[in-house]
Amino acid sequence: MKNNVLTASTLALCLLAGTAAATPGTVLRDEKLYSQPSASAPAAASVSKGANITVLAKQGGWLRVTSGRTTGWIRLLSVRVGGGGLASVGVGDVVGAATTRSDPSKVVAVAGLRGLNDEELKGAQFNAEELARLDAMAVSQAQARSFAAAGGLASAQIRFLPKPQSSQPATSWEDN
Amino acid sequence: MRAALALLLLFMAGSPLSAQAFDLGKLLEERINQELEKRDKSRQQQSAPAQAAPAQPAPAGAQSAAASPPPARQKVDAAQIGFALFGDYSLEEENRIGRQIAGNLLGAARLVPDAALQRYVNEVGQWVAQHSGRPELSWRFGVLDSDAINAFAAPGGYIFVTRGLYRLLNSEAELAGVLGHEIAHVTQKHHLKLLKQSSLIGALGQAASNKVKDSDPAIQNLIGNGAEIMARGLDKEAEFEADRIGMVYAARAGYDPWGLPNVLQDMAALPAKDSRTSLLYKTHPHPADRLSALGAAVGDRMDNVRGKELSGRFYRLP
Repeated sequence: MKNNVLTASTLALCLLAGTAAATPGTVLRDEKLYSQPSASAPAAASVSKGANITVLAKQGGWLRVTSGRTTGWIRLLSVRVGGGGLASVGVGDVVGAATTRSDPSKVVAVAGLRGLNDEELKGAQFNAEELARLDAMAVSQAQARSFAAAGGLASAQIRFLPKPQSSQPATSWEDN
Repeated sequence: MRAALALLLLFMAGSPLSAQAFDLGKLLEERINQELEKRDKSRQQQSAPAQAAPAQPAPAGAQSAAASPPPARQKVDAAQIGFALFGDYSLEEENRIGRQIAGNLLGAARLVPDAALQRYVNEVGQWVAQHSGRPELSWRFGVLDSDAINAFAAPGGYIFVTRGLYRLLNSEAELAGVLGHEIAHVTQKHHLKLLKQSSLIGALGQAASNKVKDSDPAIQNLIGNGAEIMARGLDKEAEFEADRIGMVYAARAGYDPWGLPNVLQDMAALPAKDSRTSLLYKTHPHPADRLSALGAAVGDRMDNVRGKELSGRFYRLP
């Protein structure tokens, strides 16, 4: 893996540009690497939870990655793309601090940034005018249907996802 | 709190029906005052560190009790508490609650003054909501003029994303995934359940009598101060559930199902100290945990689902 500081600072830009080219990633669960982006393709190798990989490309729900000397396809949801590893935000602070130091333009706590924190929410006063604007912009079901048709969207029958048996989180993040 | 509710219901079940309506207010007031006194005592006994770092997510009621100073002894509005206690909220009550929360939220952040953007988000949102099992709600969608990265849902079908989150998106499928997650909070009535858990405290809380135009004082009393319910957050399981359901809603609407996972990936890659995500991370599990939990649920179930990304049609902010 490359230098953490460098990758962390360039990563967000890479992702925003939609390029998955050679960004680091971490495997979130024991998984297989397939020779094609399909679970019916032959498995090229196995990777363990926590393994570092390099993400080369993305296709639908699959990522093309390199793990050690092996290259193959892995499920998108089995990887955390980026330099955060399995770490929670608490541990990842190190990366954030390093980024800030190495690249002043990435200091994100900028004055004048319009945030939305708990104090602002708590003290918020009912805004009837904005609510009326919101109501006025609502779209009817018929309008939504023609919007969908214009984009070639067709309704599909898809079953709900079951709650996983053990939702063992990748990280512990008790404080939040 | 749960024990108190059970006690209360038991208490009332014992009283004759005719007298119940009459004495309800007084009865509730007595019980609640007892509870408050108990809590005051236990708070004094508890040491500060134990309160600051609960090992497990505490129920919403306990959180707000720990966070706010002892509630002022206000006169109890029996009707209001009654409607929080008995059965489900009606659709009309749900709409009133949602409207009040949405109006307050818009007091903290206005809508982005871009009619084309707002219309686009309503078109995508309304289409996804038609696949949610609650198409009868008056769904309204808005982009809030805030650099924070967050999204909000209020009962009755009010959905908001911030400009900061919108800027992270790359396609209509990603927008559909985010809106699907928020729509799922509404269909699963996550905030209404939260309100039910904490309504006894909320009703007695410090909510200032709100004289703002068109504001609903009874509902405001129920939801606490301003839009603080939006800052309180739901439990982790509710967020994981909204991810699972939201992904399915977007896919049912014909979108590529990987929109929401892609947004979670992008959020997981943001610097940890990014102030734009401070409230998001306070109220949501870490995106890496959400990816992991969603992955465990999805497995191979979406392998044969083909949908549209529509990145070409995605409305990009200037």
